[in-house]
Amino acid sequence: MSKILAIIQREYVSRARTKGFIIGTLIFPLMIVMFLGGVFLFGVIFQPTTKSFVVIDQSTIVYPEFVNILSDTLKGGAPKYRFTEQKVGDEGLDAVMEQCQQQVRDKQIDGYLIIPPDIVESRTVKYSARNVSDFEEHQEIQQALSRIVGNYTLTQQGYPAEDIREALWENRISLVSAQVTAEGEVKKSGESSFALTYLLTYIMFLMMMIYGAMVTRSVIEEKSQRITETIISAVRPWQLMVGKIIGICALGLTQLIIVGIIFLMLLTYASPLLMNIGVTSPDVIEFAEQTHFTAQVFVFMIVFFILGFVLYSTLYAGLGAIVNSEDEGQQNQMPIVFIIIISFLIMFSVAKNPDTPMALWTSLIPLFTPIVMFARVAVSDPMLPSGSIVSIGIMLTFNALLILLIGRIYRVGILMYGKRPSLKEAIKWVRYK
Amino acid sequence: MKILNVESIRKTFNDHAAVDNVSFALEEGQIFGLISPNGAGKTTTIRMIMNVIVPDSGQITVLGQPNNGNATNVIGYLPEERGMYRKMKVGELLLFLTKLKSMKSRGVKQQIDYWLNRLDIADWKQKKIEELSKGMQQKVQFIATILHKPKLLILDEPFGGLDPINANLIKDIIMELKQNGTTIIFSTHVMESAEKLCERIFLINKGKQVLHGALSDIKKQFGRQNVLLEYEGNDGFLKTSSYIKKFDNYGNYVEIQLANLADSQKLLAEAMAAVTIRKFEIKEPSLNDIFIETVNSKNREEADHE
Repeated sequence: MSKILAIIQREYVSRARTKGFIIGTLIFPLMIVMFLGGVFLFGVIFQPTTKSFVVIDQSTIVYPEFVNILSDTLKGGAPKYRFTEQKVGDEGLDAVMEQCQQQVRDKQIDGYLIIPPDIVESRTVKYSARNVSDFEEHQEIQQALSRIVGNYTLTQQGYPAEDIREALWENRISLVSAQVTAEGEVKKSGESSFALTYLLTYIMFLMMMIYGAMVTRSVIEEKSQRITETIISAVRPWQLMVGKIIGICALGLTQLIIVGIIFLMLLTYASPLLMNIGVTSPDVIEFAEQTHFTAQVFVFMIVFFILGFVLYSTLYAGLGAIVNSEDEGQQNQMPIVFIIIISFLIMFSVAKNPDTPMALWTSLIPLFTPIVMFARVAVSDPMLPSGSIVSIGIMLTFNALLILLIGRIYRVGILMYGKRPSLKEAIKWVRYK
Repeated sequence: MKILNVESIRKTFNDHAAVDNVSFALEEGQIFGLISPNGAGKTTTIRMIMNVIVPDSGQITVLGQPNNGNATNVIGYLPEERGMYRKMKVGELLLFLTKLKSMKSRGVKQQIDYWLNRLDIADWKQKKIEELSKGMQQKVQFIATILHKPKLLILDEPFGGLDPINANLIKDIIMELKQNGTTIIFSTHVMESAEKLCERIFLINKGKQVLHGALSDIKKQFGRQNVLLEYEGNDGFLKTSSYIKKFDNYGNYVEIQLANLADSQKLLAEAMAAVTIRKFEIKEPSLNDIFIETVNSKNREEADHE
């Protein structure tokens, strides 16, 4: 046991004090903070400017009310939209359109709307613009038009204007989402929990790949520098392998915990922090408030990181034992990377629907559990998804068996130089006495 | 008690017997020469002693105990293929290796300093391995091998790559350890150093024991004696003399194998008549000769057999 401890200590200390690790540990959380800060900052700096549209209102019932409804102003006091009405005279609609298109090309206006004479029946308005990707703008224009036409129809049927106003304008329904939990309900939006889950699994995914590859490099270093023989004459090969995996896992964990704590603090104080830097958009504040990174998720993140790390890095250690150089290691790491990427792809659909039987079964496959099950835990937080505790048991068993199996390949591989064995040969090593 | 007992061990890789029925036993304080041609089973034998690989059959005991688990803590092994973590500092690396040998931590640092001083590399303690020259690295590795005061020391080419001064330094330490009761397995391709240091020789070829015994007995067994002759003048008599079975002319001197050892004085008389003699020496066969002759004749035998 003291021998394994010595190996763990060496693997950890010799890497933890390198400049790369120290800088990386400081920069990694900083990068995340900068990334998140950047997203919010974009919202602050890139305020939209006034957009001008030409409205060709052939129905004559829309324009005055339309201008009235869309009279919001931007943060600086400038109007959000500027509309100009364009009548269709003798030259005909096509000519007017032509003219508007030229104005768009000349950047005099941003776009134009053609409201047909029969809007009440056809319920279709043509919207043309230089840029049609502004989702929010679409919705606003669409809602305004719908309201105007609805209003017009009801007025025609003889309803008093007051009643219509009350029924249509003041009865706007908003959807407030919340998640039912054991204790009660938590206010949480689908978007925010998905975004957080995605970010956290991505961090785990990155760290498993980076630190897993470190295990391969460590094994290859011992082989290529001919250190193995000296070490193996003092400790059993499996002790060396396990010590190596634990040492590097502890290194990754150090980084993960630092990042996690910064994250916990950041999200707890996110909304006052945002308001301090001048973010007033209620959407952003709400998004930040509804993004919960709880201690429970953090604990599960650590547990699944350790389990996943042991799984993948055992495979990475096996890889290191059968190759001779770092180049060879990189060329042959594809199968392992593939497994991690597949679990990441599964994660996307599972995070949206964490309770389907499909989600349950894929998250119970040990190769996918670390990322997929963790994603389910993060999305379902504070409830625990089905199978989450069972999957830990399955993974512990699976990892133990994998270490036994790969350990048998490892002990032969680390003393072999020269031609890389085929998978078949490597499997034969398992049966060596 | 036997320090090491190797009993008819055998190891095959893919139907090829790397080590076949090898046995030997070592007493305390002996220097035992394990010599073999390249790729003849020496490393495999040592790896089995170190419990890195397990023999297919046979048994190895260290200090009377089966060599599993911590038995290797009493062995120090300097492999031929040796390297160290390049990024570690000398002092740290030595400390790490003592932990792997389960050495008690008390007094370890003093021990490290003692040996660094003794091998004249104390100034390099805080330097990284990669900053050291090859020879210095080898001295560090030698310290790592003996630091935990092993009862059994296995040295595979300990002088390879060392200059004569450092080689002598290491040799003195080896002799000192032997005086203090350490048993040493000395493995080398350089027959001259095996001849100087070893009391017993074990020659292994193609996985099998070929020669085994005290060096002096082996030489006696080998029987023949050579004459070394240094001379000036016409050496035509070498080809015609009836006392000479075979000779190797090296220019400055000639090595002569006698047809009959009793005729050495007759040969001397004949030589005196023909050339001016500077030196005439009756020489035991060197280990080098024994090695070459034994290995070649064994290989020939096997070739005939097939």
